[in-house]
Amino acid sequence: MTTAGMRRGGTVLTVLGLAGLIVLYWMCFFWVSTEVNQGVVQRIFYVHVPAAWTSFLAIGFAAVASAMYLWLRDDRLDRAALCAIEGGLVFATLVLTTGPLWGKIAWGTYWTWEPRLTLTLLLWFIFFGYIMVRNSTEDPEKGKRFAAVVAIIGAMDIPFIHLSVVWFRSLHPEPVVAKPDGPTLPGDMLATLLFGVLVFSLLFFGFFLFRYAVEALRAEADLRARSAT
Amino acid sequence: MNHYLVQVWAILRKDLLLEIRSLERIGAMGAFAVLAGVLFNFSIDTTAVRPDDVATGLIWMTLIFGGLLGVGRTFQLEAQDGALQGILTSPAPKDAIFLGKTIANFVLLYVVSILVLGVFGLFFGLDLGQNLGWVVFVLGIGSLGFVAVGTLFAAVAAGTHLKETLLPVLVFPLMVPMVIYGVGAMMPLVNGRPITEVEGNVRMLGAFTLAAVAAGAVLFRYVVED
Amino acid sequence: MSSDSGRLNAQDIPELGSKRSGRLVLEAQGLHRNYGPVVAVGDLDLSMSEGEFLTIVGPNGAGKSTLLSMLSGAMRPTAGSVSVCGDKLDFGRYEWRHRIGMLSHQGFLYDRLTVEENLYFYGKLFGVTDLEDRVASRLQRVGLLERAQFEVRKLSHGMRQRASLARALLHDPDVVLLDEPYTGLDPAAAVVLRDVLDELKDGRRTVVMVTHNLREGLEMATRIAIQVSGRFAWEGALQGAGWEDFESHYHRVVEGRV
Repeated sequence: MTTAGMRRGGTVLTVLGLAGLIVLYWMCFFWVSTEVNQGVVQRIFYVHVPAAWTSFLAIGFAAVASAMYLWLRDDRLDRAALCAIEGGLVFATLVLTTGPLWGKIAWGTYWTWEPRLTLTLLLWFIFFGYIMVRNSTEDPEKGKRFAAVVAIIGAMDIPFIHLSVVWFRSLHPEPVVAKPDGPTLPGDMLATLLFGVLVFSLLFFGFFLFRYAVEALRAEADLRARSAT
Repeated sequence: MNHYLVQVWAILRKDLLLEIRSLERIGAMGAFAVLAGVLFNFSIDTTAVRPDDVATGLIWMTLIFGGLLGVGRTFQLEAQDGALQGILTSPAPKDAIFLGKTIANFVLLYVVSILVLGVFGLFFGLDLGQNLGWVVFVLGIGSLGFVAVGTLFAAVAAGTHLKETLLPVLVFPLMVPMVIYGVGAMMPLVNGRPITEVEGNVRMLGAFTLAAVAAGAVLFRYVVED
Repeated sequence: MSSDSGRLNAQDIPELGSKRSGRLVLEAQGLHRNYGPVVAVGDLDLSMSEGEFLTIVGPNGAGKSTLLSMLSGAMRPTAGSVSVCGDKLDFGRYEWRHRIGMLSHQGFLYDRLTVEENLYFYGKLFGVTDLEDRVASRLQRVGLLERAQFEVRKLSHGMRQRASLARALLHDPDVVLLDEPYTGLDPAAAVVLRDVLDELKDGRRTVVMVTHNLREGLEMATRIAIQVSGRFAWEGALQGAGWEDFESHYHRVVEGRV
């Protein structure tokens, strides 16, 4: 895929995503029914949760790309991992800002150690660590390899973190009312949630393609500068 | 296979020998352990909180901070005279090198962790009589898991210009399961509960450690290659 | 023979093909290493037969150490490959590492271990059998037997270099690579080094030595290469030419006048 093709693809996905976002917001505010316990503020759920899932998608994608990079040494795989990580960082930040907002209004506390929020916080640091490591070596090739290792180990740890935090929570239940989650969700809420996931995924891949195109161009420019000297 | 074990043992023995000769790391880690206990004692309001409630948690935190101290220097040993290069150009497989170093670091940390257990038991008035064997066992699994992740990332950190300051950022997020399961297993044991109650946690801790060692052994070669 | 002007003419350089007899022990093809835009070694080819002794000379920054690093398997080339006894240097496998012995300016020794402990350590890594005898004989050869129990940090530079040499030869490698072995050596140590290197010319071993010391380098060599900016600017053998002649030839090559 040429960079022009990528930009086009990125544009298409992002436009679709943004259009979907508008529809999602409409659904959030006007269509879906209000949750019984928390009231109107619960609607932030439809942005908060898809953003979280997208950040998990990002680390998974980055870990697979990183593993393949270590195996095949194709720079494009490393580039893909980097772009996924950056996208993931953005969405994780979104989760970490909507979470406390939601928490404060719904339950009076900014922070709660509920599994999803905790996992996203740690994931944020894994993203951060990846970027830090990638830029902290003298030899850029080393940086790519180190970062790939960080992504892979990070992704491997996620299931452990999830299980342990869920178990921890079962011991120390926080004074939080049940949040509608999973298959027990009533129809319209489930639909909105799934649509949210779709929209955010579109946006993620749209951003990813744009970012990837920029990185590819930069690599090309580097190469040209090098052969010119 | 036999030769592989000989190589792992050679590296393990070499690291421990160097440690015994200089006593640098174990001195720093041991002093840290005791002093941490002292500071913790003053930082807790003993009227509001029972010391033995928090002792287990503090033991694990001290392990992690102290462990970071020790593991951070694991590749400094080799820095002088480029000795790591000497090992890397030998026929020793990279995973053997990783295992040798990890086990050496484990021995170091385990010794310190027993010290921490003793010191904190003393400072916080813990009755370690029952379940001592299980407590020591759980500490062992935790130390090994920590050291596996720490050694891998110490190699990463050594290759950056940030060196050890990078380690907490990389290692701490990954340690959450270890702390949760480690403390979760150890606290009831310290309070005299039977091992059957915490079996699940011990198993999860074991799984974590196994995954850490395996992942480290596989990925180490990509960190040290040139 | 060089002409009266001291200039080495093309006909003084024998066809490299005719010099080569015996099996091909060390081969490099299209060896290339760059650090970003900087080319350290550029598309270099090298073939060495059993028993040859190649000395590589050249100015600083010519990439000699980088070349040696790649030949020893310490560093991955950006492009090209190295083969030892037909075995390509594949970083996923380890058997070929038994065939290479490297004396680096870095030493590879642990300060706080004794000479003996260092050698035992590496001996185990290299799978050396009859280790005790081997270590003793190597130490004897480099004249360090009496100091076997000394910690390395207590040794002078010359003795450390000798210990490193013992380490490099401990596992009886087919290919011996030496990076600036004469640097900083006291005369006694230099004599030991020369003797040991002489012994290596037993027809079984192949040696590549990088050095600044033209005199010593020429004495040992069956072949010489002048490396400039990552490439062999000149390669050949001295047919009895004196080292002063070579010195002027060297300067001419390095300054680009040949």
